[in-house]
Formats: sequence, C-alpha cells, structure tokens
Amino acid sequence: MRKFSFNRRLVIIIVCLIVSFALMTVSVVIRNKRSTPPLIQQFGNDIVGLADRVVALPANGLSGSVSSVSELLNTYQENQQLKKQVSELAQTKVRDQTLAKENKQLNQQVKLNDSLTDYTAVSAAVITRTPSSWQNQVVINKGSSAGVQKNMPVMSGSGLIGRVAEVNKTNSKVELITDNNDSANRFAVQITTKSGATVNGVLSGYKSATGQITMNNITTKAKIHKGDKVVTSGLGGVTPKGLYVGKVAETGGDDYGLSTKLYITPATDLTDLNIVTVAVTKQ
Amino acid sequence: MYRLSKLRFGFPIGLLIMLLLDGSLSHIFSSQMFNYPTVMVSHLVVLWLVTAVLYEENVTMPLGRWAIVAGAVFDLYYTGIFGVYIFIFPLVVYVTRIMVTYISPNFLSGLLIYFIDITLVEGLGFLASRVVHMTVISGSSFLVNTLGPTLALNLALYVILYFPIRWVYNWLN
Repeated sequence: MRKFSFNRRLVIIIVCLIVSFALMTVSVVIRNKRSTPPLIQQFGNDIVGLADRVVALPANGLSGSVSSVSELLNTYQENQQLKKQVSELAQTKVRDQTLAKENKQLNQQVKLNDSLTDYTAVSAAVITRTPSSWQNQVVINKGSSAGVQKNMPVMSGSGLIGRVAEVNKTNSKVELITDNNDSANRFAVQITTKSGATVNGVLSGYKSATGQITMNNITTKAKIHKGDKVVTSGLGGVTPKGLYVGKVAETGGDDYGLSTKLYITPATDLTDLNIVTVAVTKQ
Repeated sequence: MYRLSKLRFGFPIGLLIMLLLDGSLSHIFSSQMFNYPTVMVSHLVVLWLVTAVLYEENVTMPLGRWAIVAGAVFDLYYTGIFGVYIFIFPLVVYVTRIMVTYISPNFLSGLLIYFIDITLVEGLGFLASRVVHMTVISGSSFLVNTLGPTLALNLALYVILYFPIRWVYNWLN
C-alpha cells in the first residue's frame, strides 16, 4: 500500500513536470510568433490590469508625494540650471519647426508620404513591474485599443527604454533593454561619427555590472569616439529612425580582435520609469 | 466553519492585494530593489499563503486551489510565460503543510519554514527561466546576486508583517 502511494506521487510529479514544460514551451512560442496572446489570456490580463489600477493608484500616489517633498529641496538649483537650458531650447525649437516645415514641403515635392522618421507618440503610465529577477518588464496602461502593437519601441524621457512584448486590449507589457534574453534588446542602431561617417549595427546585450548596453560585431574602419550619439537606424521595420539610445562610453576590440565592441551609456535612468512613450508607426 | 467565516471572501481578496502589491513595490522601489547586478524580489503573495498555513488551526482552507489561481494570475499578468508559478505556488503550500506537521508553527519556526519556501520559489523559478532561455545567469551568481538579497528582503518583510497578518486572520476568522 505504501509502495503504491509512493508510485502515485512520483507519477503526479512527473506529469506536473511534463505539463509545466509543455505549457512553458507553448507560451514562449506564442510570445515569439504571434502578435497578440490568445483571447482568453488577453481578457484575463485586462481584468487583472483593471484591479491593479485600483491598488497601484494609491501606492504610486504615495510614492509620488514622498518624492515630490524630496524634490522640493533641490528645486532652487534645478530651476537655475533649467532656465539656462530653456533659453537655448527655444532657439532649437524654432529652428526645428522651420526644418520640419521645410522637410514636409520637400517631401511633398518628391511625393514621399511616409518616411522612416515618422511616428506618432502615445504616452502611457507605468502601472506595475514584474516582480521577478529574470524578466525586466513593466506593464503600461495602453493597449491595442490605443493603437499599440507588438514590437513597437518605447521611450522614456529622452531615450529608448525597450519594446512592447505583449499587447492586450487595455494594457501591454514592455520588455526593457536591460533584459538579457534572446530577443529583448536587438535594436538596429547607427552612429554618426565626428568625421561624418555612418556606422550601422545592432544592439547585442546589457552589461549589468556597469549598466551599459553593448554593441558587437562592428567591422567598420571609421573611428568611433567616446561621446558619439547612438540613434535607431529605422532598418528592419517597426522601429522608426532617429530615436535616441545613448552615448558611446567605451570602445574596444572583441574577444578575438576581429571587430569592434562598443559600450553605450543609456540616455535615461531605466530604474525610474513613470510615464513612457510608445512610438506608433504606420505599418 | 470555513464556509461561514469571513475568511471565505477575505482570504482571496487579501491574496489578490498581496499579488498586486508585489508588482507595485517592485515598481516604486525599482531603483533600490533592481540595483543591478543585485536583485531583490518581493514575494508577499508567498508570505500570505505560508502564513495562512501557519495560522490554519481549526479551519481548513482550500489553499492549494487558491495557490493555483494566484500562480496562474502571476504567470499571465506578470511574466507572460504560462506554466511556471502555477506549479510552484501549490508546491510551496504542500511543502509548508508537510513541514508544519513536523514543527509546531510559531514566529521563529515560521521564519525557518519561510526561508525554505523562498529558496524553493526562487530556485525553481531560476531553473524554469534557464530552461526557456529567459536568463543566461550561472548558478553561482544566482546564489550571490539574487537568492541572497531576496531572502534578506523577504525575511525582513516576514518579521515586519507576521503580527499584522495574524491580526488580519484573527479578525477575519
């Protein structure tokens, strides 16, 4: 009798393991292949997201009021610095408007409707973050009903922070570029060097010890300097051209001395995300 | 008894709140908790389940079933990889129930039990992520950078929340 119950337990454990592996594999495949999760999962996620807003609202409000008190302390200094920046910004903005207008007119002349740089920004609030050390993921409060689609790039402040990994009706999951899994941070980027040469490449990973994004396999002869700006190149579809990623922090050879490896300091603080912007492109 | 007590509705509501608080805490304190490479993960939902086993004296609750529900919500809403925590959470409840039959539960022995439970959750979660290539971290750096800080945070939360949660259970019962 005892032997029987032991065997039954073993069978249950093995069946659980097999089912678990099967479910994991299926969900990973669905996540990689399909643009939206199955309808029932979307529905469940929407309901939980709704409940989460009720919990997240007071929690985020509390943290907001605490941080606003601490921010009040260095407001004066910040104000001085910002005033300087604003006066410079006005000039840049006017020039930017003129250029955008000119660009539009030129585009009309050559009958070019959508270029790689065109996108509409959808801003969203971060509801919550995945409590797991293996997935650097946040949940935002805009979904497919606001035009968000899978793989769209997401920005916060001045720079790129990640891409949309899963879309539900009213919320979606964003995989941050700090995530080191196989598909999280492969963005096509380009660097315009000081001499004017353009270097294309793909982001390849995140070095958590220093908080830098890495970029591998660059075989160009062009000299890349520290401080060169890295922007998305718009190649490969969904990501528009010209989203700011960060600055080159360090250049070096790779392990075999054949190509160059770059370390990029991200433009935004990736641990402090409240409002993010999804770059929605026409497809 | 369970059918008549307030626990019947209070327990699942608490479970949901704890589950969502995990995410909110991770979001609000993300600069402290996700200070790479050191990562602390809060497991308030596991705390709620384990304390339910510890305080469960004369009322038996369907904890296994609720653990499955919590695991399913965790998988779908937080990670997007179905089939990991839906098995880990019921396993934790099962293991805790076995341990409670050997050790009479009080504050200190509960701390020991919770230590084992968190190690179980994090260890199995790590193995599952390695299997589906969510992470490439080696076992030794998992022990140092994730398991150690996570245990520290969760045991601290246990010490802080043990008596408040017991008060809530007594009020519900």
